[in-house]
Amino acid sequence: MRVVIVGAGQAGRRCAEALRGLDAAAEILLLGDEMHLPYDRPPLSKAVLLGTDPGHGLFARDGAYYAEQQIALRTGTRVVAIDPATRTVETAGGERIAADHVVIATGARARTLTVPGSGDPRVVTLRTLDDARALRARLADRPRLAVIGGGLIGLEVAASARQLGCAVTVLEAAERVMARCVPPSISNRFAALHRGHGVILHLGHALRAIEPGADGALSLHAGDVQVTADLVVVGIGGVPATALAAAAALSVQDGIVTDAQGRTSPPHIYAAGEVARLPHPFWGGRPTRLEAWQVAQNQPVAVAQAICGEDAPYDEVPWHWTDQFGWNLQVLGDPDPQLRLVERSEGERLTAIALDLAGRARGAVLINNGRDATPCRRLIAGGKALDASMLADASVPLRALL
Amino acid sequence: MPAWHRVATEAELKLETPLGVRIGDVQIAVVRLPDGIYAINDVCTHEYALLSEGFCEDGKLECPLHQACFDIRTGRALNEPAELPVASYRTKVEGGAVFVEV
Repeated sequence: MRVVIVGAGQAGRRCAEALRGLDAAAEILLLGDEMHLPYDRPPLSKAVLLGTDPGHGLFARDGAYYAEQQIALRTGTRVVAIDPATRTVETAGGERIAADHVVIATGARARTLTVPGSGDPRVVTLRTLDDARALRARLADRPRLAVIGGGLIGLEVAASARQLGCAVTVLEAAERVMARCVPPSISNRFAALHRGHGVILHLGHALRAIEPGADGALSLHAGDVQVTADLVVVGIGGVPATALAAAAALSVQDGIVTDAQGRTSPPHIYAAGEVARLPHPFWGGRPTRLEAWQVAQNQPVAVAQAICGEDAPYDEVPWHWTDQFGWNLQVLGDPDPQLRLVERSEGERLTAIALDLAGRARGAVLINNGRDATPCRRLIAGGKALDASMLADASVPLRALL
Repeated sequence: MPAWHRVATEAELKLETPLGVRIGDVQIAVVRLPDGIYAINDVCTHEYALLSEGFCEDGKLECPLHQACFDIRTGRALNEPAELPVASYRTKVEGGAVFVEV
């Protein structure tokens, strides 16, 4: 059996590793357009910008690992076409590689601005290691930095740049930060955290235009606010890299449409990681595309199992985290702002659990309280109605409520 | 030379409730499991975080930041994002006190 994996990011790597674990004899080709070994992206906006060692090293595996595992990793190899009928991929170098199974693990790219002036070379995004290293070099000059978008990436970049001594202004169109992933009370805490560290945060201010400024800098206009910046980082979300899939006439709707295990409509063609839109049991089977370390880490394992004929739908309770100014935020499930939020705090630590009308946990938000993550995940997965007054009592251990 | 250091009384160590201690520059998580008291390095090998602030169950300690799990008895990393083990240390109980060898 030969499997070609298009994309050598975290999802592609994980799919290759899982395949090797399931089938010692499979021929596995892992094709990536970047020049680097596969790496995980969370450190890019933090440790890489700060120049601190991410601990385990940036690369999940060294080059020898792929040789030992007989995973044919080819970096710097861009795929330009996929033919689902013949299960053949074509590289930019004109090579055609036929396979029994093709996995598309092309991930996402950073969404870019469309306002006037967006094309200036001082307006950048952060998605790849090269992006991060280039940004780090620019931050060394301590530019006046404007960050467009107060979501996870924007706030992480803002925190890193502030820690490097830059003057930082964040422009966010919504009325609060991280509005897509946490309830307002949590947004407010993080807004206060950033302001406490000297970040200038303009909420409810959508960027309208970027113009040349008086001193050669850039002048940003957002409603009644004008910001002067030497560098602009745009953190306004990701767009799934579906061009290859669309050209191959696969079903694409903000992601490659798959079943619960990453199978696309033509046989033997799969999508793994952030590029996939799959029916997720957490949302009652609604097709969902998730962007997080967790989905890139574990959904490709389900794809590998599908390739090997195992039935193992991907069904994890969604989880993601962010680290800003030394605070760790973890979000589990769906802490929808419409839900009742029960907060339990011990000093600086906070666990907030979102209950539906039946009193069942649907989501949880943890600030500096990671020891509650596993109990919260089980409360969410268990679907049991909870006693809100006991939940609010921090002296009652969460595991007593399981 | 490794030496024994007193870190707690036996009564202070509740089952599966990690205690973070510091011996010189070394941070250590001491944990009572059903079959004994164990000590491993407290700092996650992925990113800086104290494992003693994490969730403990079934002989495993989970990093509070990113949920890498370590085997409390051996220090072995059980799942990503951690790859490398944490150091483990010998323990003993004498006269109602818990000692760790560092």
